[in-house]
Amino acid sequence: MSAPAVAPPAQAQPPRLEDPPAPRARRRRTKLPYWLIIPAIVVVVVGTGYPLIWQFVTSFREYGLAQQFGQPAPFVGLQNYSEMLTDTGFWAIVLKSVVFCLVTAGVSMVLGIALALVMKNVGKALRLTLQIAMLLAWAMPIVAYMTVWTWLFDDRNGVINYLLSLIPGVDMIGHDWLINPWSFFAVASIIIIWYSVPFIAFSAYAGFTQVSDEVVEAAQLDGATGFQMTRRIILPIVKPVLSIVFLLQLIWDLRVFAQIQLLQDAGSFGSQYDLLGTYIYKLGTGSQDFGLAATASIVVMVLTLGLSWVYVRQLMKEDEQS
Amino acid sequence: MNLAKKSPAARAGWATIAVIATLAWAFPVYWMVNSSFLPGSTLEQLTPTFLPFGGSLSNFEAALSDGTFLRALGMSAAITFLTLIVCIAFAFLAALAISRFRFRGRKQFVLAVLVIQMIPAEALFIAQYKMIAGFGLLNTVVGVSLIYTATVIPFTIWMLRGFVAGIPAELEEAAMVDGLSRNQAFMRITFPLLAPGLVASGVYAFLQAWNEFAVALILLPDGSKATLPLWLRGFLQDSAVNTTNWGEVMAASTLVAVPVIVFFMFVQGRMTQGLVGGAVKG
Amino acid sequence: MKKMTSGAVAFAAASAIVLAGCSSSGTDEDPTTEPEGNGSEAPAEETVAQDISLWLMGAPDTPEALVTYLEEQYAEVNGGTLTVEAVAWGDALPRLTTALPDAANTPDVVEIGNTWAPTFTSVGAFSDLSDVYEELGGDDLLPSFTEVGSVDGTPYALPYYFGSRNMWARADLYEQGGVEAPTTLAEVTEVHASLKEQGIGGLYLGGQDWRNAISWIFANGGDLAAKDGDQWVSTLSSPESVAGIEQWQEMFQTASVAAANDTDADNYFIINDGSLSGIPAAASMAPSWASCCIGFDTGETTEEGDPVLAWDDAKNTAYGLPGVDGGLAPVFAGGSNIGISATSANQEGSRDLLRIIFSDEYQQLLGENGLGPANVNAKDSFVTDDFRQIAWDTAQVSKLTPAAPGWAAVEGSGLLEEFFQAVAEGGDVAALAAEYDAQITPQLNG
Repeated sequence: MSAPAVAPPAQAQPPRLEDPPAPRARRRRTKLPYWLIIPAIVVVVVGTGYPLIWQFVTSFREYGLAQQFGQPAPFVGLQNYSEMLTDTGFWAIVLKSVVFCLVTAGVSMVLGIALALVMKNVGKALRLTLQIAMLLAWAMPIVAYMTVWTWLFDDRNGVINYLLSLIPGVDMIGHDWLINPWSFFAVASIIIIWYSVPFIAFSAYAGFTQVSDEVVEAAQLDGATGFQMTRRIILPIVKPVLSIVFLLQLIWDLRVFAQIQLLQDAGSFGSQYDLLGTYIYKLGTGSQDFGLAATASIVVMVLTLGLSWVYVRQLMKEDEQS
Repeated sequence: MNLAKKSPAARAGWATIAVIATLAWAFPVYWMVNSSFLPGSTLEQLTPTFLPFGGSLSNFEAALSDGTFLRALGMSAAITFLTLIVCIAFAFLAALAISRFRFRGRKQFVLAVLVIQMIPAEALFIAQYKMIAGFGLLNTVVGVSLIYTATVIPFTIWMLRGFVAGIPAELEEAAMVDGLSRNQAFMRITFPLLAPGLVASGVYAFLQAWNEFAVALILLPDGSKATLPLWLRGFLQDSAVNTTNWGEVMAASTLVAVPVIVFFMFVQGRMTQGLVGGAVKG
Repeated sequence: MKKMTSGAVAFAAASAIVLAGCSSSGTDEDPTTEPEGNGSEAPAEETVAQDISLWLMGAPDTPEALVTYLEEQYAEVNGGTLTVEAVAWGDALPRLTTALPDAANTPDVVEIGNTWAPTFTSVGAFSDLSDVYEELGGDDLLPSFTEVGSVDGTPYALPYYFGSRNMWARADLYEQGGVEAPTTLAEVTEVHASLKEQGIGGLYLGGQDWRNAISWIFANGGDLAAKDGDQWVSTLSSPESVAGIEQWQEMFQTASVAAANDTDADNYFIINDGSLSGIPAAASMAPSWASCCIGFDTGETTEEGDPVLAWDDAKNTAYGLPGVDGGLAPVFAGGSNIGISATSANQEGSRDLLRIIFSDEYQQLLGENGLGPANVNAKDSFVTDDFRQIAWDTAQVSKLTPAAPGWAAVEGSGLLEEFFQAVAEGGDVAALAAEYDAQITPQLNG
């Protein structure tokens, strides 16, 4: 990344932060970064270490309800994996999930960045109104917004059908959006996009505000137009933030669970409405096959890593250079 | 930040998009609040009621009647506060480490932080229960917060890392040329610039802890320790025995959302303060 | 807190129970009869006060008055405190799965859905109740429920209450369409198809509503699963089952006003006026306690703003689902079982609570509150009017889901919802039945 605004930070001279109890590091090769990451590592290891190891080990075991109630859980080698990977139903859900994730994350990003630009380009009053609307949307608890949205899409007294039916010649009253799997996932996607966009927009906007006035003024003096400025100066500055936000959207949308689960509760229950999250949930909590559910989790992780590998590597490379 | 001068047409275009977006994002929220004032019988009709005329507070009274709301509010507030503080503090330190320092193991750490988020959580509940029960932390704020913090922190580190990386270290150096110490430069130059990033990731941590219910369901088996999402779910399930009373459910949902909005208003102010009061002018 | 010590003791006690459970005799010497509930300092006496917890399903579904009764009686009989915890049906599986094996945090007495009973009893989640079985009612307890809660004749989870299903209908719509209440299962389709054709009304049974749909299988002599040797096999594709499913398919396509993805969630109130757009529901099938929620909007509202409903004999009626050749069809019996967690340290206190639950007085209370009592001797408290009589009669011919160890897994996987929806959408019954049999059979055996 060679944007003018982000000259490489002075790596040879890391800022020495105040670290009262420890004597200030004299040497270049300071131990400070290790002290800085240790608290986070400890929390993550304590909070997720055991569950993750348990999950990994369980994926090689036969582990059902009987094992949960004290029966020995025999190791079965790769049996869970071969069972999972040869199941065409599983691959169908993988495919569905990947498409769903790419569409949802892609549209969310485009809308999110677009709205951040809107915030930047409108007057203060409009910007605040939009920001407040998005904050309010973002503040809604998942159970609450899923309830509202399923109600808006309700076949009988939903607002969407009511409004569509106001169009002459259209009668949508009684149309059930959740019965056809395609429209089920379209509804799910709309809801998730609606909920994801505020976060993306705020992150992007926060990134935009980091662009200091000097940089902008300097560019203006050089005769840059608004579009050029956006593309050549502002986007590179917010790129680190946006890259991560996008990657995280991909990860989250691939393993989306709660929204699909609640939408199934409201409308249709069955494997044709499943994505990976609900699939794993049904294997574990539903069918009490915890071994297979653990296997599915590991497979999903590997898949996610595989799918995003190119992107992750690029991110890591940029990270090295920055 | 002032961009290049815009034509009136462009300005109108931006404004139109802003208005449409505002409506699209506000409508479900409006619908929730509007419905919370209306009686169930009105809401069951085929023609939607768009305006809250003739409404009453009875849905709120019904939602608050058994007094469990305040208890759940206290529980949620404690868990969210603990998660938020720990998350932001630890993640900030880690983000500084990876964006301002080069050290052995850094790459592995960064990669691990990323990969750990790719693991689906739906099959983890048995192990999480065993661990927290083993610690003797079932039905406690600390137990749930531990799981929340551990799940949210990797994300927060990534997020903050991006913001820290976005701030040129030269700004600090320039300030040091002006006679500030390294720490002063950091506190007065970098930190204010980081405020939006801290708020964005803080808000995320807040929302995760505030809205989560799957882990809470398992780790808080004692009904009197329920968090707000569990309270809301219970409320939904109660009301589903008969026909869903949309009005009461929406009133309950509104009650759960209000503290979040209050929190947002609070940090929104801080964010602006940070931006305005900060030494951006260097 | 004494958590650590009592937890450790409880764990030791729990392992002792698991061992003792194998011999199903000598429960009097069972180490768990020794007191631990009150911490390590508690003196060893015959009856010791134990603080116990009871998990009840739903909000809970057990009425508040009964919960209070249990709490008061327990304090009187045992001296300890009874804490009642409501567990929502949708949350029950993960919570039971984690809490029951955990000796330090297990609930002591647990209500579970009757269809889940085989799954949990077969993995040893509940204590052997042979020692108190006779005392609690023995053979007077609902036999089909006792059976699903037993493993090889040893009772682990006893019946708590039952509810059967019957048809709730609109007499006024029947009259308007010139039809009589059906007397055979085929007529159920004919009558409502006629009403639907006239645009007057239809039968509201959703495509995913498998709990009601299986009545058609039962009525035609089919079953969901059968035990072949020591293995359970799904039998949706048996000729009887296929005949029943095809009859149900015809009903759905010609007579139902519900959608293929509707469940039984709305069946309680759907026949009330104005609940459906388009053709209203002239009848639906719901548990016997649905009478709570059926009636006509009086225009008045409760304090909370809910409409007040009034049952109107001229407009509302109820009858049992008729069988293929008349009489009553076997319907699915809903309800619950109740048992003591095997890992509970408070086995004695828990047995005290069961004694209260199976006492004549509590059984009467269940009946009076519309929950089918577990003990047949409490029939009179339940059958107080014509509707309760219908409920009682249908319950006598009702059937349960298979007592297969993996049945809870079958329900949890959603395969039945999926299967019946595919049938409702017009799929080939024989082919679908064979396809889902192949998926369900491996799950049945746990």
